[in-house]
Amino acid sequence: MHDRKARRLVEATLIDGITRAEAEKAEAEWKPYLEEQLKRMAAEGVPKDRWPQHGHWDWRQKQEAADAYLAYRMFGVECQSQMQGLMLVLTAGKNCQIESQKGKPLAYVHFLAAAPWNLATVAPDPRFSLVGSILVATAIHLSIEEEFQGRIGLHSLPQADEWYRNSCGMTDLGRDHAVQDLRYFEMTPEQASEFLK
Amino acid sequence: MKTNLSKEWLTKRVERDEKADVSAGMLDLGRLQAEPPTARVESIQASAETESLHPAFGRLINLWRRKRGLRMDVLADRAQIDLTELIEIERNLHYTPEPRTVYQLAKTLELPSERMLELSGNLVVRDSSLGEEAVRFAARSESVEKLSKDEQRALEEFVKFLSEK
Repeated sequence: MHDRKARRLVEATLIDGITRAEAEKAEAEWKPYLEEQLKRMAAEGVPKDRWPQHGHWDWRQKQEAADAYLAYRMFGVECQSQMQGLMLVLTAGKNCQIESQKGKPLAYVHFLAAAPWNLATVAPDPRFSLVGSILVATAIHLSIEEEFQGRIGLHSLPQADEWYRNSCGMTDLGRDHAVQDLRYFEMTPEQASEFLK
Repeated sequence: MKTNLSKEWLTKRVERDEKADVSAGMLDLGRLQAEPPTARVESIQASAETESLHPAFGRLINLWRRKRGLRMDVLADRAQIDLTELIEIERNLHYTPEPRTVYQLAKTLELPSERMLELSGNLVVRDSSLGEEAVRFAARSESVEKLSKDEQRALEEFVKFLSEK
């Protein structure tokens, strides 16, 4: 992880298989912070299109799903005793749409989020960066482990479209009317290899 | 799982992540809830055969919901699924819903969950007669506000077939 204030890398732990207690702790820490910042944004008259777009995700329920359902894997990045980011990945039933990989299986990133205090769109003074890169790299490694050769797919929230397109080098397959008109992105084995370089 | 992120790689990524929001998923949606459709999910495959069953799945949900006198928002709420996904299931007959959504709908509407997973394209169909029955059912049911007698009959026969297997 990168401590923005200290401007240096700090130790973090990647957790494969989030426990119920860890999800509850993350929820208990993220929610009040997010609510406090939403109140501040409302008071300051910040336009709603700049508000965070995943405010109501319930990570406890996602953890239960991951626990009960073998095709889901849930990961977290912990640093300084706090969960800095969470991700839920589906490893079955999703296939590539991109022409060169059409029909081949991929790991689908169902949900990915950084803790609200790490988001430039939420926190006045964001604490850590690299959460997104670490989690995307983790999804790629999971895809390789599943013998999907690094192929991943996800629906990006509008505020993150540019990051997935330009910073991750994923292919933008356009708006998906089946999923709230969100843009759907895929990463080919070549793009995954490039990302990990 | 093996991850190998070097200090050099992380340093290189810092600049790219500086002002990024990284969220992926669905807007304001967090209702993914625990349901255990068993380890068979590992055999999930998309196939031409399951694709042909999709129209029957969407039609079945639509008719069974209406038979029970449930509005879409009420069913979505009871099943703890997103309303937009329910609309998509009923209106886009080629849409493949998430396994968890199918399981929730089956549980709420008291329909056999494994058959629903097969119909929706989430599980490989093991019984060829399901395909024939599904096609017959889809052909007999049309979208109207109130269930016609024929729709009612087609619906009841199809649910009976599903439950018997």
